[in-house]
Amino acid sequence: MSKLLLRLEPVIWLLFGAGIMLGTMLLPAYLLTVGLGGPLGLLPEGALAYDRAHAIASNPLGRLVLLGLIALPLWKGAHLLRSLLGEWLGHGADGAIGSLLYAVAAVGSVLGIYAVLTL
Amino acid sequence: MARASHPQAMTPHRPGSTRTAPPQVPDRFWTQRRMAIYQLFDATGLPYMLVGLLALRVAFALGRGPEAWAALMQDFAHPLYVAFHVLALLSALFVGVRFFRLFPKAQPARLGPAKPPPRPLIHVGLYAAWLGVTAILLVVLGGIWP
Repeated sequence: MSKLLLRLEPVIWLLFGAGIMLGTMLLPAYLLTVGLGGPLGLLPEGALAYDRAHAIASNPLGRLVLLGLIALPLWKGAHLLRSLLGEWLGHGADGAIGSLLYAVAAVGSVLGIYAVLTL
Repeated sequence: MARASHPQAMTPHRPGSTRTAPPQVPDRFWTQRRMAIYQLFDATGLPYMLVGLLALRVAFALGRGPEAWAALMQDFAHPLYVAFHVLALLSALFVGVRFFRLFPKAQPARLGPAKPPPRPLIHVGLYAAWLGVTAILLVVLGGIWP
């Protein structure tokens, strides 16, 4: 399994890199509005009402950004958690841990593609 | 107890004539300042993964309709979700500050005939992009435009 992960490393690294760069750029504003401002009622009236939120997200660019907010943090997180768990649990379990974390990220990404296409 | 580190850690590119002891992870490695910050950076992976999964929930709720969306917004107002989103925000800021400081140093010295811009310029450019993306998203998602 470790051999397979090593062969996939270029793809994983690309997604991880995109996650750390683009994901980090997108996250603060998303968290401030959808994560905190909207639910706590701190935004102007109707800013995240269903019709408006749906219109923003179903715009082609909106779909792409939403997919980025789903998939990129997953790959960034999976790669860093694998590295952290490697330090703590030793590298014997690396193949299993890495496969599990990347599987979560891969399934989440595929579901994300499905979700933004069927908005 | 010190334990064996990654078997390939510190392996020379070509086998040399000098024999070296197998690399060991030092005792209490996590207490060393650099290592502690490094591990904190890695630990941000957990909030990032959870944010990705929650964004998936956001997308599905938008697809299901107004009731699902209202229920999700109500869920997100729960103190546990609020606390998590604050933690995720701090994680993103920590990652951004640290990674954007590292990024200029990690550029190749030259790529064919092209040289990268001076490091401070890349650093400032990354912050400008970060602020720009944040401002645009805040305007759109905050209900100011369109």
